[in-house]
Order: sequence, then structure tokens, then C-alpha cells
Amino acid sequence: MECCGPGYASPAEAMQAPREKLLYTIAIYTGTGIQKPDYLATIDNDPDSPTYSQVISRCEVPGIGDELHHMGWNACSSCFDDASMARKYLLVPGVRSSNIHIIDCATDPRNPTLFKVIDGADIKAKTNLSAPHTIHCLGSEIIISMLGDAQGNAPGGYLHLNKDFEIVGRWENSMGNIKFGYDFWYQPRHNVMVSSEWGAPNTFMPGFDLEEVGHLKYGREIHFWDFEKKEPIKSMYLGEDGLIPLEVRFHHDPDSSHGFVGAALSANIIHWWKDQNDEWQWEKIVDVENEPHPEWPIPVPGVISVILLSMDDKYLYLCNWLHGDIRQYDISDPHNAKLTGQVWMGGLLGKAPEVNGVKVTGGPQMIQLSLDGKRLYVTTSLFSTWDNQFYPEIRTNGGCMLMVNCDTENGGMEIDPNFVVDFGKEPNGPSRCHETRYPGGDCTSDIWL
Amino acid sequence: MMHKITLANRDGATYEVDHRKPLLDSLRDQGVDLPYGCKYGGCITCAAKLTDGRVNQAPQVALNNRQITDGYVILCVARPLSDCTLEIGVESHDKLYRNPFLDPLAPHELKADIATKLEKAP
Repeated sequence: MECCGPGYASPAEAMQAPREKLLYTIAIYTGTGIQKPDYLATIDNDPDSPTYSQVISRCEVPGIGDELHHMGWNACSSCFDDASMARKYLLVPGVRSSNIHIIDCATDPRNPTLFKVIDGADIKAKTNLSAPHTIHCLGSEIIISMLGDAQGNAPGGYLHLNKDFEIVGRWENSMGNIKFGYDFWYQPRHNVMVSSEWGAPNTFMPGFDLEEVGHLKYGREIHFWDFEKKEPIKSMYLGEDGLIPLEVRFHHDPDSSHGFVGAALSANIIHWWKDQNDEWQWEKIVDVENEPHPEWPIPVPGVISVILLSMDDKYLYLCNWLHGDIRQYDISDPHNAKLTGQVWMGGLLGKAPEVNGVKVTGGPQMIQLSLDGKRLYVTTSLFSTWDNQFYPEIRTNGGCMLMVNCDTENGGMEIDPNFVVDFGKEPNGPSRCHETRYPGGDCTSDIWL
Repeated sequence: MMHKITLANRDGATYEVDHRKPLLDSLRDQGVDLPYGCKYGGCITCAAKLTDGRVNQAPQVALNNRQITDGYVILCVARPLSDCTLEIGVESHDKLYRNPFLDPLAPHELKADIATKLEKAP
């Protein structure tokens, strides 16, 4: 299809896009003791370039202590047929400050610059929301899950921005009985949005007290929304199978009703779909066993901090941040996930303390997959306070980014021996990298209407 | 009323601060470089260790009871009730972070809203 808006006509067309030659990842100093701003790092990912696998520019945000975390594009394939839109700006929120940084990545893709900051105090005053997390564009509009009210209490809500990055207000008409917010994804052809649950900012920001899970301070439900009416219509109680359900991924195929969420603490993958009676159903399709640790009284859960689907919806990837492995499952039959690949880096079980000459502190955490499904980029830091609890050496070692080559035909994964970005060697001292995106879109940005 | 704040891990530097203002604001206004995040007492980024003196940090919701027992205070909401000695920055965070699988909390060590009262020995 000939068109001139951003993105691609379909997931199949997205898979034909040129290889990503630049990577953007956020890097934080929050919680490290280094009194410098967090920043967006640009990494040269052209194998023929002399600066391949190096940070080539750093766009600092104005403040200190924002805790940059997730980010999203101002536009994606959801406005593919809108010639007035372009994938130009990354919205990069600070979870702690609630400031939302708008970074221009198109004027000079190798050297992004700060375009605008939406002041967190202004967001709190106008919407009584704080702690921005996931960003999805929605045609020309932008919605952001906000995990708390202005005082950091759950459940928060959704911030609505227009395409000029002005605060419109609250997006949702009702939060229903939802207790917590976190991630969300929508599938417009089924008029549905699914949201998941972490905890209140006042609960998760200071760090993870395991005991608070039993006191119901963390989530164990997912929520199905009437997307047009902007209100939740059905909640699914996942119980012990679904403790702390985090990343939500629908199939990229806009006609599909299948989706998945990773329950971090239960270390399970939950699959949902609409049955022949138009009822939403769910089931557990992956269960990662807890591992005993020789010196600890409590067995260690995998802590599935992220999941991701390949653009063709064939493979599901997950990270066990505490165990230290990344897994690839063939989900061609979404009811029946087959383990097809596994690699190790870092983690608490000591399986791969060093990779490509760099000591991996932390475990595999955020991942981003190339549009063609062949290269998976992995970073190691989760959240500053949680890093400090589980991997205290990250303060001096910093985080790192690695690349995993994925076999899209037969399944299988292998860590690329020639790619490593050591954020322990940054000019201002060791920083920690988190979510990654690239200029042409990726496997967690684009949604088709 | 003014109180004297001594920063033990900054060569014992001292600052006069107003008892009505949060310590984070008073110290930053006088040029002390301090980490902070949310500024409402919820995120723990600005935690410091109080080794002498008293503060009122009633608005804080970030610390569990073990962290409070270990002397941690949340500077963005803590106001001094006396002269105080503090250790600041992440160097003071040695006991702030704890692996919950290695070192669980007892019921009385949870955050105030869910902690059970510790039975006092007769």
C-alpha cells in the first residue's frame, strides 16, 4: 500500500523494513549516588561503522532523580494513513518526578535533542496523576498509564496528551474497581484494551518488600476494557498463578484476539483470547519453577520482568531477571508454548557471570526485538531501588546491553560475540540502561487500527 | 526556631536550618548536593541516616519499620525537632536495601500501615 504516514501498512510489511542502525536506550543515575541527570543514549548499531556497539551521543534531561524508565513514540503505524504525522519524538517520562521529556530523534537521529518537558507538577495539578509508565499513541493522540495519584497512591489512571504534547486530561471515563495500574495494550478491531497491575508508587518505589505481596499491596488481576467507552468491563483474578502481572502484549495481527501477560513473581505466562461465544478466557501456558539458592531461606522465583512477541507473532520471548535466562517459545499454537531457545547472562544463579568480556551485573531485563525478528537487544537494570536490593554491585559496575541472535526458522538463540555496550564505562560514571527503541519502530511500539 | 544540622560524612559540615522547612529544601538551599525524587515522601531516593537528634517525618510512606529502626529518615518531608547529625547520600544506604529472599522482614518490621505490634516482653 502506498502511503506517507509513519510506520507500516501491516506487521508483514514492518518485517521487510531496513535493519536498525541506531538504538536508543535510557540510562539512569537515579539511585546510583552520582548526581547527574538521567539521559537517552544513542548507540551505533551499524556493523560496518568504526563506532559499532558504542554510545555515540547522550541527551541529558534537565533534572536529577527523574528515573527514566519506559518510553514511547509520538506516532506509530496506528497513523500510517495520516500524512500529517511522523515518528519524530520519543516521550521519555521520569517515574519518580512525573516529568515527561519530549526528545526529537528525527532532526538528527544520531544526536537526539530535548524538544520540550511536560512538568510533573503540572500533570499532578491538572489530572491528580503521577508516576508515568507505558506510552502508546492512538492515531494522533497519546495515552500514558500513570501508576499513582498525585500522592503516589494506587490506582492512578491514564494521562491523555494531544499530538502537540498538551495535557488534555484523564483519558479514562472510569477506573471501575481496578486496584493498580502498570502496562496496557489495545486491539481496536476487538474494541478492547488490556491493562495489568504492579503496585502503588508508594509501594514499589522504595523497593520490594516480599511480605507486601501477601498484604495485597501488589497486583494479581488483569483488566479488559471497552476501548471506545474508555472503561473497564471485566477483570480476571489470576490469583497465585498471576502475582504481579506486568508486560501486556497482544498479537501484532490486528484481527487476532490472543494476548499474553508475564506474571513477574509467579514467573508464569498467562494467555488470553476470545472464545467462540465472544467471551474472554485465560490460561497459564508457561510456568518457570522457583530455584533454590544455597544460602537463602526462600527459593528464588524467575521474576519475569518482560515479555515480547516477534512481529509475526510466532515467538514469545521472556526474561527471568533473577535467574538470569532469556527464553524463546514458539507460540504458533498460542495454547501450547514450546521452548525453542535459552541463553544466560548475569542473574543470581551464577550461570553466566561474564559475557563478551563484561561482568554482567543484574540479569536480562528489558528486551527489544528487530522488526525482522533476528536480533534481540537486552539490558540488565530493572528499577533503581530493586537493582540496589538484588544486585548491589550494579552501583559500581553499571548496566550493560547485549545482543542475541535469534533463529527465526528453527528456533534457537545465541549471544552475539561482537556486540556489548558497557554502561559501567560511561563518562560520568557507571549508569544503568533500560528500555530500548529504534528510529524505524520496533516490536513493542506499533499497533494497527 | 533554628536547629544545627551536622553532616557526619561531609567532614562534619554544619548548617542552620528552620524547623518548619523539610531538611531537603533547607540543605539544598545552602548548597548541599542531595539526591531526591518524588518530593512527597514516597520514593526513598532522598533517604539519609539520622545518627543523633530527632525529626518529624510523619508524612513519609516509603520506609518500613526496620528501616526506621536503623535510623533512616526521608529528607524531603522530615523536619528537625532538635539539632541533628546525619549521614547523607548513597554512602549512608548500607542498611537501606535488603534482598527480601535472603533476609525477610518480621511482621512488626513491615511498613506502618500493615505492621503488627511487637509484643513487649514483661
